[in-house]
Amino acid sequence: MSAPGGSPLRRWLGYLLLVPVVGVALLVGAGGDDAGPPTAARRAASIAGQVRCPTCDGLSAAESESSASVAIRQEIRRRVDDGETDQQVLAFLVGRYGRDILLTPEGSGVAALVWALPVAGFVLGAGALILTMRRRRSEPLRSATPEDRRLVEQALGR
Amino acid sequence: MNALAGQSAVLFGFLAAVFGVGTTAAGLVRKRPDLLRRGLAHVWVVLGAAVVAVVVMERALIGNDFSLEYVADNHSRATPLLYTVASLWGALEGSILLWSLILAGYLALMARRFRNRADDPLVGWATVTGLAVAVFFFGLMLGPANPFREVVGKIAADGAGPNPLLQNHPLMAFHPPVLYLGYVGFTIPFAFAIAALATGRLGEGWLIETRRWTLFAWAFLTAGIILGAWWSYEVLGWGGYWAWDPVENASFLPWLTGTAYLHSVMVQERRGMLRVWNLSLLIATFSLTILGTFLTRSGVLDSVHAFTESPIGPAILGFFAVVVAAGVGLIAWRGDRLRSPGAIDSPLSREGAFLANNLLFGAFAFVVLLGTIFPLLAEALNGERITVGRPYFDRMVTPVALTLLFLMAVAPALPWRKASGELLRKRLQWPAWTAAIVLVACVASGLRGVGALLAFGLGAFAAAAAARQLVLSARRNGVRGLLGRANGGMIVHIGVVVVAVAFVASSSYGHRAEFRLTPGESATLAGHSVTYLGTRTVQYPSKKRVIADVKVDGGKVYRPALNLFPNATQAIGTPSVRTTPAGDVYLTLIAAPRTPEAPVVLAVIVQPLVMWLWLGGALMVIGTFMAVVPGRRRRPTEPASAPAGEDRHAPPAPDLPGRAPVRVPEPVRDPVGAARPAEASGA
Amino acid sequence: MSSTVVPEVRAAPPVAGPQRDRHTARWVAVGVGAVVLALIVLLATRPPAADVIAPSPIVGQAAPEIEGPGLDGATVRLSDLRGRWVLVNFFATWCVPCQKEHPELVRFSQRHPADEVQVLAVIYDDQPADVAEFFEKLGGDWPVVDDTGAKVDFGVRGIPESFLVDPDGVVRTRLIGGVTAAGLDGLLRRAEGR
Repeated sequence: MSAPGGSPLRRWLGYLLLVPVVGVALLVGAGGDDAGPPTAARRAASIAGQVRCPTCDGLSAAESESSASVAIRQEIRRRVDDGETDQQVLAFLVGRYGRDILLTPEGSGVAALVWALPVAGFVLGAGALILTMRRRRSEPLRSATPEDRRLVEQALGR
Repeated sequence: MNALAGQSAVLFGFLAAVFGVGTTAAGLVRKRPDLLRRGLAHVWVVLGAAVVAVVVMERALIGNDFSLEYVADNHSRATPLLYTVASLWGALEGSILLWSLILAGYLALMARRFRNRADDPLVGWATVTGLAVAVFFFGLMLGPANPFREVVGKIAADGAGPNPLLQNHPLMAFHPPVLYLGYVGFTIPFAFAIAALATGRLGEGWLIETRRWTLFAWAFLTAGIILGAWWSYEVLGWGGYWAWDPVENASFLPWLTGTAYLHSVMVQERRGMLRVWNLSLLIATFSLTILGTFLTRSGVLDSVHAFTESPIGPAILGFFAVVVAAGVGLIAWRGDRLRSPGAIDSPLSREGAFLANNLLFGAFAFVVLLGTIFPLLAEALNGERITVGRPYFDRMVTPVALTLLFLMAVAPALPWRKASGELLRKRLQWPAWTAAIVLVACVASGLRGVGALLAFGLGAFAAAAAARQLVLSARRNGVRGLLGRANGGMIVHIGVVVVAVAFVASSSYGHRAEFRLTPGESATLAGHSVTYLGTRTVQYPSKKRVIADVKVDGGKVYRPALNLFPNATQAIGTPSVRTTPAGDVYLTLIAAPRTPEAPVVLAVIVQPLVMWLWLGGALMVIGTFMAVVPGRRRRPTEPASAPAGEDRHAPPAPDLPGRAPVRVPEPVRDPVGAARPAEASGA
Repeated sequence: MSSTVVPEVRAAPPVAGPQRDRHTARWVAVGVGAVVLALIVLLATRPPAADVIAPSPIVGQAAPEIEGPGLDGATVRLSDLRGRWVLVNFFATWCVPCQKEHPELVRFSQRHPADEVQVLAVIYDDQPADVAEFFEKLGGDWPVVDDTGAKVDFGVRGIPESFLVDPDGVVRTRLIGGVTAAGLDGLLRRAEGR
């Protein structure tokens, strides 16, 4: 195809310039979360956000005001102040409420399925789509046979 | 008296639906058009019965007739009028009644629209299907979900009143009917999909004639979902609007497949392809509305209630099984023979973009469905309970959503059949630069977080691409250039971008804190100050309310409250929100003070751009209605593919009104009268 | 274009043509149908949730300590009741199933001597004054404790919820929902039999 506007480099210059601009912006944007090491309050809030409110529907313990959530937040804060790590606090809660107190399924066993299945499904779907499209495209073109033409003329009432 | 009248009406409607199905089916089998017409007329009887039943129920509610169990459970004398009327759909039985009314209304609309084609077996099959669905819902009301059940024993002088959460906000009055108008609206396209499969007549534009129905249903469903999120935000007090809980997901799933359908049906219109796939999407959308109803009504996802507590669960599940069996069966039987032979010329084309769109929406729907039912799956597999909460959905959905934003930018610039890099480069030039500038501006103003920044950048990309289309179209045709399917669609896309940006901004950059304040004391959060002034208690006939006066940013006073209802000893909070275009300051009263001088506990949540969620949603609905108005006059079945053998330097630009119309081969007319698009191969 | 010109078409023979007859739609439909059928079977065969005994990670472990002020102000501790079977009962006066199970608890506590079996009520989100009034009206003489952290230590999901603790301080059973005196008697017999 003839391309007005000059050489490929010149035409695509606009886009080529975009790449470093966007790249730098994203790099800057990725780093630099303002605060340094998280405060106890922040840690406690973040842990509470990973745990569900036991008596509500779909809320985290950080969001809900039910008495169970309030008590969980207090317990988390107490343990964080005592020096426990995030993992230890979460392990304590799992040890009392069971695994389903965690808002997100952790990686092992059956729980891993919920993460793996969508990815597998997407790959399968994309693959099937590409295969079907390719298969249909590679069908040979056929021309109309005289038989076909006769049929058409018949249908058109000639 | 009310019970008798109501139950008779329901029974009447049920029988009318049954006879309608029978008559129409007989007409189909025996090929008798008069039976077909008579069967269609039954729809009006069903509508009449539904209207009578609803009027009777409202009369019982407004008239304080506590001899009805439903009224006794959901109404009280002190309930204000608006909420009394709204308690028609406040609980299970009433919502089935509302569903039946809306279904009957849609069926009547269908009967009226197709009254001149009542002899057509296609309309006959659609009638049978639609009336069969009505049989199910009226049957539910005769059995497990009877709204007119009478109280056994002594009739109380007053009732329990609606659930306190349903009395807090007038939005509750509108959200369910609007949502149901969307939900139930997909029944008609579904009925025609079944009809098309049953008669084998896929290529005649029937699905295109019902496209307008699907658009309206989709618009109402969008509005219903947005209203639900708004209600959740204004009433529930946790400061959020979307928790990916089963009830929300149940309404979102059909929206996803419905959106996929609205896009891929355009491929069918233009190229005659994907016919069976589109039918499958319609069947899937309707099935998901039934599955969603099952998940939310049967209690199967509740950890506390037993599934078998009420027989409604098995009934809905059974109906779901029937619907899926019918759909799967028809497609397995007929699908291959009815598939269109066309093919995509190039993945880099509008068709390719729509296929990618469908793949992504399919993945989206799969993630939402899997996450919703996974706790059941896990428990069945190894006995252990697992929670799948918001973080899962957020994490899995984000890449899909970002890709969709990108696709929204690129697809309108792609022509049909095949695109060249040149064309794309030219068309996407300034949208791409707009996106880059927006991204840099966001980073420069201090926003951080790759996910959020990507969302803003891609959102700007998509919005700029849509705006470009609209500007070009308006330049050629003035205001008329904003109407019609393509342009309305661009407005909807802009609405989606607004919602996406608002969603990301409020989730990523929100702040939450709790303060214990004595009267006169202030606190600050994220640049906003709140000053607690004092509390007062007000006694209403239906509840007692403790109201805290809080001054925000030294200006207006806001009043978060705690409501105490006599029949529920737990206090229900009413949040108070200061809304500005830049963001919201959300106040909730956590604990009321015991004495006037005692401190209160106030939760303050500051979230940016929340208001734009609702505005973006409104824009989506407005865009849909603008899309329904015809823009450029063009027969929907006329394909725009280039004729074979013509040489062109660049592929024809699609959807820019005002261009010389592309020459097309004459369509072959078939005896029934709807045009069939001619298949033409690309050179 | 005149209608006598037949454009070139891609071939798609309607039926037989062995290499073309792949029945894709049929297989996909059947596959989807099978998956949905499995889903329906799964949804239809949920175990009845009315089962009162529920699993808990603390069953078989030492019971967490409960400590707090009683209704009269004196400190009440779970460990003080070691040597007896203790039924730890989380409740509130505003909870309707708790109100319903209260007479059953009264009956249960009257049937067993206090030095062998003791009920310990833990207040869940309620005012001690309201609880005192509740007990005055409906009876019951077992200790009541106000410890807001106990619900987290025991992993309580809702009320009423009860835990049977053996004389050695080990949690034996978790019961969700209201209890009956007869049911508790049976449970106790089975637990003692071990």
